[in-house]
Amino acid sequence: MKRLLFAVLMLVALPVQAQDLVSGISQDIIEITSSYTGTDIVVFGAIARIDAPQNRNIVVVVRGPDTPMTVRRRDRVAGVWVNRDAAKFEGLPGYYYLASTEPVDRIAPPRALARYGVGIHYLVPSAVGSHHDARPFREAALRHLQKSGLYTEAPGTIDFLSETLFRTRVPVPAGVARGQYNVEVYLFRDGEVVSAQSTPLFVDQTGLERRLFNLAHHAPFTYGLITVAMAMLLGWISSVLLRRTV
Amino acid sequence: MEIYLPVAELSVNWLIMIGLGLGVGFLSGMFGVGGGFLMTPLLVFAGIPSTVAVATTLSHVTASSMSGALAQWRKRAIDFVMAGVMLTGGLAGTLFGVWLFALMRRQGQMDLIVSLSYVVMLGGIGIIMLRESLATLKAYRSGNRTSAQPVNRAWIHGLPLKMRFRQSRLYISVIPPLAIGFVIGALSAIMGVGGGFIIVPAMIYLLRMPTNVVMGTSLVQIIAVTAITTVLQATSNYAVDIVLALLLITGGVVGAQLGVRAGAKLRGEQLRLLMAIVVLVVAIALLWQLVARPADVYSLALGAT
Repeated sequence: MKRLLFAVLMLVALPVQAQDLVSGISQDIIEITSSYTGTDIVVFGAIARIDAPQNRNIVVVVRGPDTPMTVRRRDRVAGVWVNRDAAKFEGLPGYYYLASTEPVDRIAPPRALARYGVGIHYLVPSAVGSHHDARPFREAALRHLQKSGLYTEAPGTIDFLSETLFRTRVPVPAGVARGQYNVEVYLFRDGEVVSAQSTPLFVDQTGLERRLFNLAHHAPFTYGLITVAMAMLLGWISSVLLRRTV
Repeated sequence: MEIYLPVAELSVNWLIMIGLGLGVGFLSGMFGVGGGFLMTPLLVFAGIPSTVAVATTLSHVTASSMSGALAQWRKRAIDFVMAGVMLTGGLAGTLFGVWLFALMRRQGQMDLIVSLSYVVMLGGIGIIMLRESLATLKAYRSGNRTSAQPVNRAWIHGLPLKMRFRQSRLYISVIPPLAIGFVIGALSAIMGVGGGFIIVPAMIYLLRMPTNVVMGTSLVQIIAVTAITTVLQATSNYAVDIVLALLLITGGVVGAQLGVRAGAKLRGEQLRLLMAIVVLVVAIALLWQLVARPADVYSLALGAT
C-alpha cells in the first residue's frame, strides 16, 4: 500500500500537460503460492486537463496470454447427445478484463473498438479452423468464458480521485493461466484513441509449487515414480498405523 | 482452507478433497474396488479438469488398494499367481488403451466413448449382480442356506492352456484371466479407473474364484495397473497433480481401512447387493447425462488439443 501511495504521489507531481496519459500498476509480478486464491491489482494513472471532459473516456484492459480454444457443438444422434461440429480459435487471450468509464459501445464506433481489441465482442481471433459458419461457435466461446469469470467487462468501475487522477481495481482470479499479461490503458476522445499505454504484468508460480510444476514437465518419468511411491508408502503406513488402533 | 494445485493450476478447498478421498476410500475398502469410477466424475464435478481428474485418481486408487491389499494379505487371502496372469494381459491392454485414448481425443469423442462404456459396463454388471444377490437373499430368507444355483459356465472349462491356481482352488485355462486383464488395462488408461468394479464380478461370476480370495487378488491387480498407468499419464499428458494426489490419498487410506472393517461385518450377499446398487446409480446418472438435453449444446476446451 505504501508503494502504491508513493507511486500515486509521484504521478500527481508529474507535469501531465506534456503527455495526455500516464499510468502504472500496483505490482508487476503476481506470485502464485500454495495459498493463492486470487488477488487484485490496482491500475492508476493521470490524464491531461481538458475543456470538455464529457467526451473523454478511459478504458483499462488486462489481457492474458493467447490460448488456443476448441468449441464443440453437440447434436442428438439416436437419442444420445454427441459432439458433431467443432471450431478452433487461435489468438484469443486466456484472460480478459475490461474496466471503462462507460459501456464500450458508447465510447467509440465498432471499427475503432475492433482495431484495439477493446470490448469482449470486438476480440478477433487470429485464426479460425472450421468447416461451418464459425460465428455461433465464437459467440458460444465468449459466453462460456464470461460465465467462468475469465472474460469480464466492467463499465463504470473507474474511480476519479480528482479531475485528472483515476484508479481501478482488476481482479486476478485463482484459475488464470501463467505467463505474461498486458495492462493496457486507453484514452478515448470523441470516439478516437488519443493516447495509450501498455505495461507487462507477470503471473508465475514460486517456491515449492514452481519446483513441482517443473519436475512434472521436465522429468515426468521421475515425477510419476515419486507419485506412485508416495501412494504406496501412504497406503502401507495407514495399514500399519490403523491395525494397531483396533 | 484453499490450497493451490501446481499442475492443475487452480485452487481447491483441501478439506473437501480430503473428504472426497475418505468417502470413496471407504467404499473401496468395503467392496475391494479402487473407487476410481466414483472419484473421476466427482472430481470433474468439483471443477478439476478432466485430464487431471483421470490421471490423479489413479494414484488415489493405488494407495487405497495398497492399504486394503495389506489387510487382505495378513489374512492370506491373495492369489498371486492369478494376479500375475491377469497383469500380463493388463500390460497389453494398457498399451492398447493409451493408443485408443490418443485416437479418440483427436476425434473429439473422448467424453462420449468414456460415458458410453461406463453406462454399458456398469449397467450390465449392476443388473447381473442385483439379480444374483436378490436371488441369494431370497433363498436365505426362505430357510434355504445354499446360495443361488450358479449359471453353467462349462465353456470356460473347454478352453486350452489350463493352469492350476492353488490359492483359488481352481484348475482353469489362462485365457479368461488374460482377457479380463487386457480389458482392465485398456479401461484404466481410458477412464482413469483401476477396474475393480469389473474384476471383482468377473472373478466371482466368470472364474468362480472363492469370494475370500477375490478381494485381495483384485486389489493386487489394481495396484499394479494403476501404478503403471500413473507413470504413463505423467510422461505422456503431464496430468498427474501430486498435491491433489496427496490430499485424496490422505483421506482415502483412512477411509479404506474403515471400509475393510465395515465390510467384514456385512454378509457377502448384502455386500454384493449394496455394490450392485452403487454401480447402478452411477450408470443411471451417466446415462441421464447422455440422453438429457444439455443446458448448452456448445462446449469450450482451453489449450491445445
